[in-house]
Amino acid sequence: MTRKKNGLRLAAAVVGISALALTACTSPAETPNASGGSDAPAAGSTITVGTTDKVTSLDPAGSYDNGSFMVMNQIYPFLLNSKPGSAEPENDMAESAEFTTPTDYTVKLKAGLKWANGTDLDSKDVKASFDRQVKIADPNGPSSLLGNLESVEAPDATTVVFKLKSGNDQTWPQVLTSPVGPIVDDELFPADKVLADDAIIAGKPFAGQYTIESYAKNSLISFKTFDGYQGLLGKPANAASNIKYYADSNNLKLDVQQGNIDVAWRSLSPTDVEDLSKDSKVKVHKGAGGELRYIVFNFNIMPHGVKTEDADPKKSQAVRQAAANLLDRQAIATKVYKDTYIPAYSFVPAGFTGAIEPLKEMYGENGGPSEAKAKAVLEAAGVSTPVELKLQYNPDHYGPSSGDEYAMVKSQLEAGGLFKVDLQSTEWVTYQKSRVTDYPAYQLGWFPDYSDADNFLTPFFAKDNFLGNGYDNAEVDKLINEQRVETDRAKRTALIEEIQTKVAGDLSTLPILQGAQVAVAGADVTGVETTLDASFKFRLGVLAK
Amino acid sequence: MAIMTDTVEEPSAPPALKATAPKAGGSFARYLVTRFLLIFPTIFILVTLVFFLMRVTGDPITAALGGRLTPDQLAERIAAAGYDRPVIVQYFEYLGQIFTGNFGRTISDNRAVTEVLTTYGAATAELAFNSLVIALLIGIPFGLMAAKLRDRWPDAILRVFAILCYATPVFFAGLLLKLIFGVWLGWLPIAGRAGINAELELTSLQNPTGIYLLDALRSGNMEAASDVIQHAILPAVALGLLTAGVFLRLVRTNVIGTLGRDYVEAGRSRGVSEYRLLTKHAYRPALIPIITVMGLQIALLLGGAVLTETTFEWKGLGFMLAQYLTARDFVAVQGIVVLLAVIVAVTNFIVDIIAALIDPRVRF
Amino acid sequence: MSTTTTSIGAKKPLADRLPIISHLRMSAGLQRGMLVAGLVLSLIFILAAALAPLIAPFDFAQITDAEGDFPTQAAPGGKFIWGTTVGGFDVFSRTLWGAQTALLVIVMAVVCSIFLGVFLGLVSGYIGGWLDRVLVVVADAIYAFPSLLLAIVMSIVISQGQSSLWGGIMAAAISITVVFIPQYFRVIRAETVRLKAEPFVESAKVVGASTWRIMFKHVFRNATRTLPLIFTLNASEALLTLAGLGFLGFGIEPTKAAEWGYDLNRALSDATSGIWWTGVFPGVAIVLTVLGLTLVGESMNDLGDPRLRMRRKKKRTSGKGAA
Repeated sequence: MTRKKNGLRLAAAVVGISALALTACTSPAETPNASGGSDAPAAGSTITVGTTDKVTSLDPAGSYDNGSFMVMNQIYPFLLNSKPGSAEPENDMAESAEFTTPTDYTVKLKAGLKWANGTDLDSKDVKASFDRQVKIADPNGPSSLLGNLESVEAPDATTVVFKLKSGNDQTWPQVLTSPVGPIVDDELFPADKVLADDAIIAGKPFAGQYTIESYAKNSLISFKTFDGYQGLLGKPANAASNIKYYADSNNLKLDVQQGNIDVAWRSLSPTDVEDLSKDSKVKVHKGAGGELRYIVFNFNIMPHGVKTEDADPKKSQAVRQAAANLLDRQAIATKVYKDTYIPAYSFVPAGFTGAIEPLKEMYGENGGPSEAKAKAVLEAAGVSTPVELKLQYNPDHYGPSSGDEYAMVKSQLEAGGLFKVDLQSTEWVTYQKSRVTDYPAYQLGWFPDYSDADNFLTPFFAKDNFLGNGYDNAEVDKLINEQRVETDRAKRTALIEEIQTKVAGDLSTLPILQGAQVAVAGADVTGVETTLDASFKFRLGVLAK
Repeated sequence: MAIMTDTVEEPSAPPALKATAPKAGGSFARYLVTRFLLIFPTIFILVTLVFFLMRVTGDPITAALGGRLTPDQLAERIAAAGYDRPVIVQYFEYLGQIFTGNFGRTISDNRAVTEVLTTYGAATAELAFNSLVIALLIGIPFGLMAAKLRDRWPDAILRVFAILCYATPVFFAGLLLKLIFGVWLGWLPIAGRAGINAELELTSLQNPTGIYLLDALRSGNMEAASDVIQHAILPAVALGLLTAGVFLRLVRTNVIGTLGRDYVEAGRSRGVSEYRLLTKHAYRPALIPIITVMGLQIALLLGGAVLTETTFEWKGLGFMLAQYLTARDFVAVQGIVVLLAVIVAVTNFIVDIIAALIDPRVRF
Repeated sequence: MSTTTTSIGAKKPLADRLPIISHLRMSAGLQRGMLVAGLVLSLIFILAAALAPLIAPFDFAQITDAEGDFPTQAAPGGKFIWGTTVGGFDVFSRTLWGAQTALLVIVMAVVCSIFLGVFLGLVSGYIGGWLDRVLVVVADAIYAFPSLLLAIVMSIVISQGQSSLWGGIMAAAISITVVFIPQYFRVIRAETVRLKAEPFVESAKVVGASTWRIMFKHVFRNATRTLPLIFTLNASEALLTLAGLGFLGFGIEPTKAAEWGYDLNRALSDATSGIWWTGVFPGVAIVLTVLGLTLVGESMNDLGDPRLRMRRKKKRTSGKGAA
């Protein structure tokens, strides 16, 4: 199992490097588009990507989901961005970006930037982009990511200063690459409300690698290279791209198999992926993913929880630890997900700076289950068995395989008779309303907002986290706050590791699986591996055939 | 329900109804007006029903962001959107908006509801029309044949075929059709309304009707037109077969009914050919109830479109309705339901008027 | 139901009073063949449902036994005669147990809608006036709503999205009920309106029977004559609605009960990957069950309709004459 995961990580790294070299070669080889790019792209240079994701809004203030963000990444500029193959924020529209004081993050823009509609891209646009996020605070928007932002200033046309509430925020550069980070044209986007997609298409406020040529919402988008883009990502390897939207992953699969589309990106079922991997016409590409699937324990109402009749923190901890001892993650990953997921032994997925695997050493045997250990833990704490556990999962939000996954979790926990699991599923909206109050243990999943270990710690284990499960460990809370502002990378990594080890003892949540990014492409399509990096941004620009 | 309809609506079902409601037995004009006015409460009831049901099923903000925000943050956003106010207040506000023709903007993807209705309504109309054509092409000739050859083996085969059409869930039939014609034979595309090139072409048209076949023909691009037709075949067959089963049975039952009538017998005794008896004497009078029931079928077609559109990625109203329902997008669901309600209410009105013209007893 | 049928013709021998048997006696030739075929299919369905605990080799949610975990997507053969699903369930067992779920939902849905629909139809049709008009408009409005979507919304409202066995079955049954009530209502109301003008009702009025007595003794007996027929036809509709709910993911949790629509949904990816057995068996089970129920219903309808039944005999004789 160790070998497998490291293998995946290694493969992603190697592929990343080689593909970088590849793009470096192909870019200059492309003939410069002297005519201004209005003519039809040469045959074979248009790439079509299919997806089952959806676009909520093209306005960054009005959406906070993978599908919308994927499109924004192609068309909007960012101050900081990461190169394909890496998750490290580097200058995109910025010429320099740094903390000039602990609470002032100053960004200098490149000079002479233009939007595709001809107007100037300057610090006013940047200020307006962040100001409107905060002001609109749309229910569907990502403004909550700007919690640490006090104000934005634009002292001159190329300088932007972010005034932060708490200093030396190590996640700030990552925030600028996140869904809240796209820069928009202040002459087109109103300061106080979300702009409709049609108005955006008509106004051409694009300054990323691509502009949008035609737009049929959640049906088909066609992109064309934007020659004025001077940022980090360079010139796309193709002249034009399309995104075709699907509702049913099965149709997506059939279309990529038959060559109607070049790449299928999010989300094919495990059976589809396995079947396609046997097909020589297409190639399955995998990269380490940031998605984490886990069980949340409610410290109040789980067996022996704080608000139960036989409350006992020791016993309730023993129950959680026994569950951790019984899980066979590899079996779930292989049998249910056909290895499109890999076992997760930590709260921070493998591949992120500071990720370690404390659960592997602490529970079970060699990453597998151990009934003996589970039994010992429960006996030591004096918990009477079988422990009756109500376990909830959601069948419609985390993919259709959730049912199979939790049927297996149930069967694993019940092996040896230590648990008696009452498994229930509830539809998503009710699930979200009831999870905090009614569910002793339940399924959740997480997809990071940006590529930093903190995004797997603060939202989960700090005080008043979004889980609302009654977990409160002052020591962990303190460590989390420390790592956020620790400027020394080695020290910060050590802190992140310490937090994981501590939480592994408490088991506020029980991680099960980590997602792999899977894209299936026609055998003649190049560049796919390059973009399956830890930034989780799928870039059309690296694809060619 | 589809099968029941024709049992219920059979023309000769109420033999003597002369004393139904003597005092209300006004003129046809009066019936027309009363019946027309009834359209409005029908729509009103549906709108109300949908409004309150949707509020019970949850809100769009939890649906979108429930897995990412703390309960407090969620509550804050729900309050900001105004969904925490008393439902009755929201209801009257909504009614007010509808009366001014303002259907609002969808919550989950920020589009004008009217735009959603016109864009996807065209797609559903296209699918409904195509499948109606298929249903008629299969249902009427085979229904006539079954009536002619009644109680012989071709009749039995046709009737079992009709039931099979109806008994096979659209998603199962769709899957089989996709496997056979899309995957194994590779003759037809599996999903969507057009290939990528055709779709790009059609979305860039000036003032498109949204009905792809019309648009393709109008633009004079025969390649796009043939692409559009190829895409239309499987969904139209899947939904069309479902309805064809009903039509087949309907034609058979009614033609058998008229075949036995006195004037047909009289024609037979005069030596009119059996073929002529079937197509002229028996079929024509049978047409009237058939048309009536077919009108009612339009409502059912719209319902059946949900599963068909979902199976074949046919982005129409039914498809979007299912999507918006999952997202708890009240505004969108309400808008679509109002439109469906109007279509169905108007269709029912027309059907009832035709029925009243044929058989004065049904007036009340 | 049984009271209804017995009260129709107390004078006739028992065999003629039972709906299906009397129909069998009436039928002949191909019509009998279709009725018998339908009865056989329906009987198989009911037997499968009743005997699932005895016949099924495994539980519907079982994925391990003494020999270890079940394989996933195993081809038919050996221990798993119809193979296993992507989750490791035994297809044969789930198909059998699925019959049980289907039968429960059908019976509950149809019984609920008969009671409510018949009651409302009787009252509305007999009393008439504004009550009648309001009920007609409401029923028409609900009827106009795409039934599957109404069922989805109702299932969310009723179960609050929970998926226990009875919660799931009740949610499905009640959702289907809501869709069906308008149909029963229409049929019964139309019959009642017709019967109200019949001489026997008039005479009962003259004798001085109370409204409720007339309604439930005299009109009810006669208006519900078509119910066994509607029952069979709507049973198939209920099954299709249940399968649609399951297919769209608003059905019953798979470890609580086996449900064909859900299994079919999970089998979509399998089917395009050459794994045919996970989808074909539940799919064919739906088709055959609906086919059986509909054949019975249609045959009963034809036999009950004088035009469709009588003419056949007449034609046979005339055919003979011509030959």
